Amino acid sequence: MLQSLKIKSYLCALLLLATAAGKTVSAQEPSALKIIENVYNRDEGESRIGKIRMTLINNRDNKRIREIQQYVKDYGDMDKIIMFFITPADVRNTSFLSWSYDDESKVDNQWIYLPALKKVKRISSDSKKDYFMGSDFTYDDMGDRHPNADNHKLLRTETMNDEECYVIESIPKERGYMYSKKVTWVIKDKWIELKKTFYDEDGELLKNLTSLEYSLIKGYWFVTHLEMHNVQKNHRTDMQFIELELDAGVDDNLFTERMMSLGL
Amino acid sequence: MKNKYNKQLVLLVCTMLSITAFSQNTPEIHGYVRNYTGVLTGQGTDYSIIQNTMNLSFEKKTPFMGFKLNPYVYHYAQDDDVDFGLREAYIDLFFDHFDLRVGKQQIVWGKADGVFITDVVSPKDLREFLLPDFEEIRIGITSIKLNYYFGKDNAFELVLAPEFEPTRYAEPGSIWFPKMSLQGAKIDMSEKKITPSLKNSEVFLKFSKLSDFIDYEIMGGYMFDDDQSMHTRRYMNPQTQTPDSVVITPRHHRLGLFGGSLGTEIKGVVLRSEAAFYTGKRFMSTNPMTPDGLIEKDYVHYLIGADWITRGINFSVQFIQEAILDYDSDIAKDKTTNTMTFIANDSFFNDKLTADVLAYWGLTNEDALIRPRITYELYGGLNLTVGGNLFFGSKGMFGQFDKNDMVYFKLKYDF
Repeated sequence: MLQSLKIKSYLCALLLLATAAGKTVSAQEPSALKIIENVYNRDEGESRIGKIRMTLINNRDNKRIREIQQYVKDYGDMDKIIMFFITPADVRNTSFLSWSYDDESKVDNQWIYLPALKKVKRISSDSKKDYFMGSDFTYDDMGDRHPNADNHKLLRTETMNDEECYVIESIPKERGYMYSKKVTWVIKDKWIELKKTFYDEDGELLKNLTSLEYSLIKGYWFVTHLEMHNVQKNHRTDMQFIELELDAGVDDNLFTERMMSLGL
Repeated sequence: MKNKYNKQLVLLVCTMLSITAFSQNTPEIHGYVRNYTGVLTGQGTDYSIIQNTMNLSFEKKTPFMGFKLNPYVYHYAQDDDVDFGLREAYIDLFFDHFDLRVGKQQIVWGKADGVFITDVVSPKDLREFLLPDFEEIRIGITSIKLNYYFGKDNAFELVLAPEFEPTRYAEPGSIWFPKMSLQGAKIDMSEKKITPSLKNSEVFLKFSKLSDFIDYEIMGGYMFDDDQSMHTRRYMNPQTQTPDSVVITPRHHRLGLFGGSLGTEIKGVVLRSEAAFYTGKRFMSTNPMTPDGLIEKDYVHYLIGADWITRGINFSVQFIQEAILDYDSDIAKDKTTNTMTFIANDSFFNDKLTADVLAYWGLTNEDALIRPRITYELYGGLNLTVGGNLFFGSKGMFGQFDKNDMVYFKLKYDF
């Protein structure tokens, strides 16, 4: 009898802990894949113009600033993005063009224009693993990874910053991917990633991504301020849109070799 | 002489500042200041270079037009000499489907790294061999450039250069003066200069396409050979019937050029290729009986290359071949000259530190140039670079400078 009471007490305690930490998944919740697809397919308008300021902060709180002008257009089956680097001065007028496809069998096409060489160069799609301008974001972190590239599992639902979130674990299907696991807190109904944790190839926590600001712009939920914290190096990148226009009517001619070399 | 240069320099700077100060539409001003100090390690510890540089760029762009004025000043501390000029000075006109650029401009074609195959529109400044940045090696040419864009990422580029500008080589006395067997010869420079005229203009045309599968360029040119042909005349002593004197007349000849380049990606590896076919290129002869000491042949220059990323390190390898077609054994240059290049670069500490190496390996002459360097960002825009230029071999393009091994540092502030 005493043993039975002890077991019941443990179970009650575990249940309370589970309720406090996060709710268990109910049968009505969408599947993990569906949730990630909703994030992937969240409408952000057919185009946007944005000016991004990245502040790189090292473990001694020294700051470095990077500014980028960005144009993005959704063509239905593909997205085109062109970025012009504004600061620091030694990378000024460098531009980066990317065509990414919804068809997961097609690899992205990427080109870079280096003003010192005055040349547009095709670069390997493997460069998506590279860190972007010395920040804590890889090119892949900044783009949209196709939902089918990972196996997803809905761990629980949880309240974070007064937002009801789905907590999804994503394990890459491919071998040798730079992250062994990602855990994402997705805000219900808004389909915004409120937080994301990245684990390195040894399974150790590598980075935390936090959405600091997001708002409804022209009817679209959009994250305007993010922070990526590399906990292993204690290096942070604060990324903020200092100018942003959605449904900006971006001209197709922007996503060309012509514009890459002519610059802003 | 120096006083005259100083006056011109002051005039130039004043003009620039006046434009900036009084222009209603103030242009953007960017540029850099740099100190570049190199020490020879192969022959004592002489300084190979102590150079202070100011590079300014005045730019303005509207949806309809733009301009760029890019003056530079090099101060050589060893002999307190000043070299200044305009790297670029042009006006842009933008239209819906075409752009027009008129003025002095650097024009870069092709897909090769560190090698000039179809990239022959702008001549080269080789007074310090291949060691300066490529932006400083390329000489701006006064030209009219028309770009016409049509369809899906297709473009034509037409360049008309009314004034021919040759490759610049180091003067005798410089450690970068190319090894030549001209001892005792009299040099006649009377035919070196090409008089600017419509007839003596250079014309280049390129079609380029960017697509998801492949990027390619097809180009042609009616140009002057950037490298001078050494017309050699041997005058016989009528009494002894032996060569009495040798007169060398450098001359630039017309060349026909046809070429192209392409780039594509297969499974994460970017494959590149570039080729140029020249008609009527002249090569020096080893046979003293050859008229003018030159033999005219067609010539091919091409490369194949690959770029890939392994463990975050960017790698690039290129194989380059120069081949003289219908070869004549009297030609001094080898029938084929093979070179490989190797590039690797990586960055550390969130791009605070970058390390790279560029190596040229001459397979034909068994010579090489290896250029390792590291760059550290001291502050936003302020970078310190430490590197070396190491030459190997005894002959060939790189081996001839075997004694010019050097280490250097560059402190550069971009603004």
